[in-house]
Amino acid sequence: MLEVQHISKSFARKPALSDISLHVSEGEIFGLLGPNGAGKTTLIRIINKILEQDSGIVRLNGEIFTERHLALIGYLPEERGLYRSMTVEAHALLLGQLRGLSAKQAQIQLDLWLEKFQIADWKKKRIEELSKGMAQKVQFICTVLHDPKLLILDEPLSGFDPVNIELIMQELREMKQGGKTIILSTHNMKSVEEICDRAALIHQSKKILEGKVSDLQQERKKGDYAVRFRGNMIAFVNALWTGFELVDKEILGDDRFVAKLKMRGENSFEDLLRVLIGQVQIEAAWEVLPSMQDIFIEMVSEEKEVSNA
Amino acid sequence: MRNIWLLAKREIRDRIGSRSFLFMSIFGPIVILVLSYLLFTYGGEGKQHWNVLIADPTGIMDNKILAKEDGMLTYAFADSYVEMEEFRDAQQFKSFDAMVEINEKVLSNKTAFVFFREKPSVRMQTHLQFQIERRIEEVMIKRFTNLSVQDFRKIKQPLNVAFRNVNDPFDEVSDLRAWAGFFFGSIIFIFIFLFGMTVLRSISTEKSNRIIEVLLASVNPRQLLTGKIIGIGISAFLQFAIWAGIIGMGMYLMRIYLFPDLFNASNFELLQSVQGESGMTGYNEYLSLVFERIQFGTMIFYFLLFFVGGYLFYSALFAAIGASTGSESDGQQFIIPIILLLGSSIFAGYYTILNPESQLADWFHYLPFTSPVTVMVRLTQGYGPGEGYQIWLSLFILLASAFSTLIVAGRVYKNGILQFGHRLRLPLLFKWLKRS
Repeated sequence: MLEVQHISKSFARKPALSDISLHVSEGEIFGLLGPNGAGKTTLIRIINKILEQDSGIVRLNGEIFTERHLALIGYLPEERGLYRSMTVEAHALLLGQLRGLSAKQAQIQLDLWLEKFQIADWKKKRIEELSKGMAQKVQFICTVLHDPKLLILDEPLSGFDPVNIELIMQELREMKQGGKTIILSTHNMKSVEEICDRAALIHQSKKILEGKVSDLQQERKKGDYAVRFRGNMIAFVNALWTGFELVDKEILGDDRFVAKLKMRGENSFEDLLRVLIGQVQIEAAWEVLPSMQDIFIEMVSEEKEVSNA
Repeated sequence: MRNIWLLAKREIRDRIGSRSFLFMSIFGPIVILVLSYLLFTYGGEGKQHWNVLIADPTGIMDNKILAKEDGMLTYAFADSYVEMEEFRDAQQFKSFDAMVEINEKVLSNKTAFVFFREKPSVRMQTHLQFQIERRIEEVMIKRFTNLSVQDFRKIKQPLNVAFRNVNDPFDEVSDLRAWAGFFFGSIIFIFIFLFGMTVLRSISTEKSNRIIEVLLASVNPRQLLTGKIIGIGISAFLQFAIWAGIIGMGMYLMRIYLFPDLFNASNFELLQSVQGESGMTGYNEYLSLVFERIQFGTMIFYFLLFFVGGYLFYSALFAAIGASTGSESDGQQFIIPIILLLGSSIFAGYYTILNPESQLADWFHYLPFTSPVTVMVRLTQGYGPGEGYQIWLSLFILLASAFSTLIVAGRVYKNGILQFGHRLRLPLLFKWLKRS
């Protein structure tokens, strides 16, 4: 779907992107991660033709990306704004038409989305009358109004309450099922784990990681396991004996715990379950994969150490 | 092109829907109408008492014209013609403010000439005209009819009283018309300033509320800038049309209801047929200027052309500053040079009125930042034979400069529009200018 090949961009000789290449397949949700100032927004602006790259190529469906492809993209920038004096309807119609819809098509799409989000009565409201969260919803609708094939969303969840976060997440899942391709730039690692198929990590203008989210987690797992149980903590520790090492514990209630363990020697997950059965009441046990947050922090810290060295 | 028009339409709707547009649409013309009314009523106010010599070889007036008791006019009589130059220069006539010449044709061409030293006020003119007219009427009634005065007045024809300045009988050195051109130039100035600032504010607001990034993901910066300038320009045109409509209607109503005696249509036709262009000089000069001597068709035609040129030139500069600001309050210091440039156009217009033949006035006529006002003044002063090309040359220079400025501004706009949080400095502007 989208191919970014060897993109570089500098501002005043300071590199913002250094030889970045990415591949986003059709129908996948791609997480674009990185600390503040890493170059994510610059990359997104280049993809949207807002900025011009110094070198490299962006391709969409095999074709070199030009202005005529912009109508295929729905872009929700992080720093987003609306014309405060315009009504929701006028705003959506303007942006829809700028993205290639006719006034009538834009009107039909707007009505559909307003109905879907159950906010049809906002149609004639001026933007300045809306709360921040309401305005965010309108912005999201304006982004998807022209039914784009590729959605580029920069921090789409910021400003939303948990209910609306779930609403947007659900919408993104549905869009993916509908065949849309989505690039999600976010610091919300939980959402990356939940909905992203693949992700790339950009740090200090360079791409330092790219792959399937599950693969990235598998590659970086540290042999940790977790057990949620009901019972006595002392009995639990005694049962572990020398075969397992208790790394961390979390008290859930009077006699409920989650314990994090490492295997010693040749011991396996089955061995662990075997020694615990009968000692405590096991509610759940699983292999602990590193969260995207852990991977993010780890990778960024590693890179910092390398660059400091 | 579709996107440019969509953006232009948004700007037009935004402007027209704003309170300031409505306020300016009503307040601006009302101010001009009130000022015009004051000018028409008191503009020619001069001495409150006139000593008038009536040169009347026919004896029609001698001791039969009576000054009213209000003491505005005192008459003296001469039974022979007095040449205008003689009246102007001879010592024995120095005590007279004006001379009324009643020649033997007065009963046939119904025209009497009043030669004055200082422009009389409207009231003075009306009084004098009224008194001469009544006496002529009496004579005419006696000589040509058997009617009573009342009956005659029902069918009377107005008498033309042509007021002429003895120092400038053909009204050649009057700069009044040039001031009218200056007025048109000032309107251009006001509109360019108001709508140029609107361009700047609109761009810096789009920057500060970050809508700009959403727009730039759909249209390129040049389209965005063009749509904005066209849209705001069209709303300026709309406002001008409203001004023209209200002022035109106001002037018409003023003519009908406030100055009905001075604006009798038959007077106009008769005066013009007898005296040609300067026939209206008998009335308040501002009135005659507005209602007769300004060629509105020509003025508005060139006004629109030079407004477009001037607006494009200046709005491009305003746009470049708007796009370069780091915050909404930033960049004020860069507006000052533009306002100074705009101010220089007003100075250039004023200078051209006073020194129409000077070389500097010629420069002002061609320089793009002063030409919109200067050309309006020159238009009313009149171009000499074979000089008509100068106005088109000036327009060409203005439009060429406007498009060059637009290209330069477009570059600054493109490079500066997504820069936030900085403080605008000159080196930064040059950097964005150099960047492709």
